[in-house]
Amino acid sequence: MKSRPRRWMVALVTVGALALAGCGGGGGGGSAGGKTKIVVWDGYTDAQGKSFTALIDKYNKEHPDVEVTQLVSSSDLVLQKVLTAVRGGTPPDVAYMFGSWAPNIAKIPQVVDMSPYVKQAAWNWDDFYVGERQAATVGDKIVGVPALVDNLAIVYNKKLFAQAGLAPPSPDWTWDDFRAAAKALTDPSKKQYGWLIPADGSEDTVWHYDAMLWEAGGDILSPDNTKAAFDSPAGIEALTMLQQMTVTDHSVYLDTANTNGTKLMNSGKIGMMVTGPWDLGSIPDIDYGVQVMPSFADSDAGHQTISGPDNWVVFDNGSARKQAAVDFVRWLTAPAQVKADSLATGDLPTRTSVGQDAPFVQQLNKNLPGSSTFVANLSNVKKVRPSVSQYPAISEAMGQAIVSVMLGKAQPAAALAQAASATNAALSGN
Amino acid sequence: MAEATVAQEGRRPGALRRLGRSESLTGWSLVGPGALLIGVFGLLPVLMSLKLSFQRSDLLTPDTPWVGTKNYRQLADDPRFADAIQHTIVYTALFVPGTMVVGLLVAAAMNRSVRFISVYRTAAYVTMAVSTISEGIIFLWLTDQDYGLVNAALNKVGISSQPFLSSPSQALYVIVAMTIWGWTGFAVIVYLAALQGVPVELHEAAAIDGASPFTRFRTITLPLLSPASLFLVVWLTINALQLFDEVWLTTKGGPLHATTVIVYYLWDQAFVQFNAGYAAAMAYALFVVIVLVTAVQFRLARKHVHYS
Repeated sequence: MKSRPRRWMVALVTVGALALAGCGGGGGGGSAGGKTKIVVWDGYTDAQGKSFTALIDKYNKEHPDVEVTQLVSSSDLVLQKVLTAVRGGTPPDVAYMFGSWAPNIAKIPQVVDMSPYVKQAAWNWDDFYVGERQAATVGDKIVGVPALVDNLAIVYNKKLFAQAGLAPPSPDWTWDDFRAAAKALTDPSKKQYGWLIPADGSEDTVWHYDAMLWEAGGDILSPDNTKAAFDSPAGIEALTMLQQMTVTDHSVYLDTANTNGTKLMNSGKIGMMVTGPWDLGSIPDIDYGVQVMPSFADSDAGHQTISGPDNWVVFDNGSARKQAAVDFVRWLTAPAQVKADSLATGDLPTRTSVGQDAPFVQQLNKNLPGSSTFVANLSNVKKVRPSVSQYPAISEAMGQAIVSVMLGKAQPAAALAQAASATNAALSGN
Repeated sequence: MAEATVAQEGRRPGALRRLGRSESLTGWSLVGPGALLIGVFGLLPVLMSLKLSFQRSDLLTPDTPWVGTKNYRQLADDPRFADAIQHTIVYTALFVPGTMVVGLLVAAAMNRSVRFISVYRTAAYVTMAVSTISEGIIFLWLTDQDYGLVNAALNKVGISSQPFLSSPSQALYVIVAMTIWGWTGFAVIVYLAALQGVPVELHEAAAIDGASPFTRFRTITLPLLSPASLFLVVWLTINALQLFDEVWLTTKGGPLHATTVIVYYLWDQAFVQFNAGYAAAMAYALFVVIVLVTAVQFRLARKHVHYS
């Protein structure tokens, strides 16, 4: 999902822009001079870019018969670019793509189904965290290999907790504890809030709620993905918690533009945020702690979280390039490379064996304090969002329901019922 | 270049025929590259998106079945599209006259020779030089419910804090104010140029006849500004109907779709919901509306615009 800070995207939408998908683009791979040339599209910059370029150089040195080159562009826009290139008949060989696109990526004919490959022992596929494997699977296809993983936990300001006379959150805390803490951390005279939540109604709002829904024992869709299931007592309980905190307690800053979060957190105006490891580098001015999401006392679903794994997607440009691309991705996602890249960038490891390597986790946490809690929290990823191509419409309906309740314009049960009927209509193709 | 060639060859009799040929060749070679670029990157996409509007396309699969006029018929019973039209109309109705009135007042105030006038004029135009992205971020912080300067000022004079962009009932009006601020510099430049073309003699003659400054402004200045006003009405209206950037930057069409205008909804349908055919139909509906509105504006202008 949206696991990197969003790049300002200059989206000029005109009649003309819509037709872009019809024009061609450049791939640039080939097999001239005995070498198989493959192209990787990624959005890595800064530390991530340096680490990834080093990995590619290493691979090229170790494999003289292959030449891997990369094309860097914003990950937010890569889907539009890949679609253009596919239409022009020149897709990249490998592209970094957001996990939430998986159901739509599965529809592209040139995408290589990885399932026959990852069954081979050399891949050690089951070593990837279960949430990552589920997110890469669409029906009987595996559309990509986990490239990056994250999850949501609570990041809190230690100083504000101490000032409010609160003990730091414990690993077994509940949403009632969370609500009470948020209330105690709120001080209107200082314009200080207990919690900040993205309230633009986008998927960023929705996935915060998804984790709460699962913790309350609910699901987004029915097991066969044909009907909405979030309008259940569990869904209402989770949304009621949000309603009580926003409308009754006024202990939440509603970030309706979804741009202020880390800045306010870093200026000490916000007690707690639900966020992922990517934000830790943006709050250097405060002393923060990280704790797992609270659980619902009356639910046996325990502590859960949500993960937005992104994938390396392989495209078919003829058998030689396809094989070279598959081999490169296997090497890139092997434990040694996962470990090296994680230490260089602070990104969480995508493999269980690396996540359980104690000296590694210690080193990671030293580089970026709080990382170890996020690594441990990967085991709390028990469910993933449904892999259906109608997901954007479902997300839209849920987002509006959540925001309308938080703005005090609707009651949880009624809002969810309305979103459920929109979801059912989308799923049945109307 | 072309003029020089014409002038030289024109002097010699008998070269007229050759002149006609070489002139058109020179002409085409000059406009050719530009015309080709416009054709490939302007006209061609316009035609392809017309085709797209009669198809079902998710931009993902090569399979794009023809659906006839289904996309256009769907527009008629989409309540969210109706809302988007309503928001766009409200926005346009406030933004266009708002920008013109503010622009005219500022331009009139600057149409005089006082010290440092060029500094003031530059200051008025500077809002046009601010990028939309900076403008969006500045207004987000200015109008923030808790930490914004606007609310701090309101509190000082005893008015309670307003939610502004966080409120479904206020957000659209904040965007109106924000875009008026952004476009004022443009209106000022246009009006200032027009004001300097108003003959001083007319004002002097009217003043001798006893006309008050207000009467002179109403009966001399305003009618002579009408060509500039027509240009602004047409230009600002087209821009208002295509509003997107500011919405995307500040509210993402929210809260609760309160600021979802037509182009924002179009973008959402094409690139978030993957209904590209439907979005293309929407783009064409908007195109027809813009053509009609502009035609009506020009027709009305025949009666009310005075060119001398």
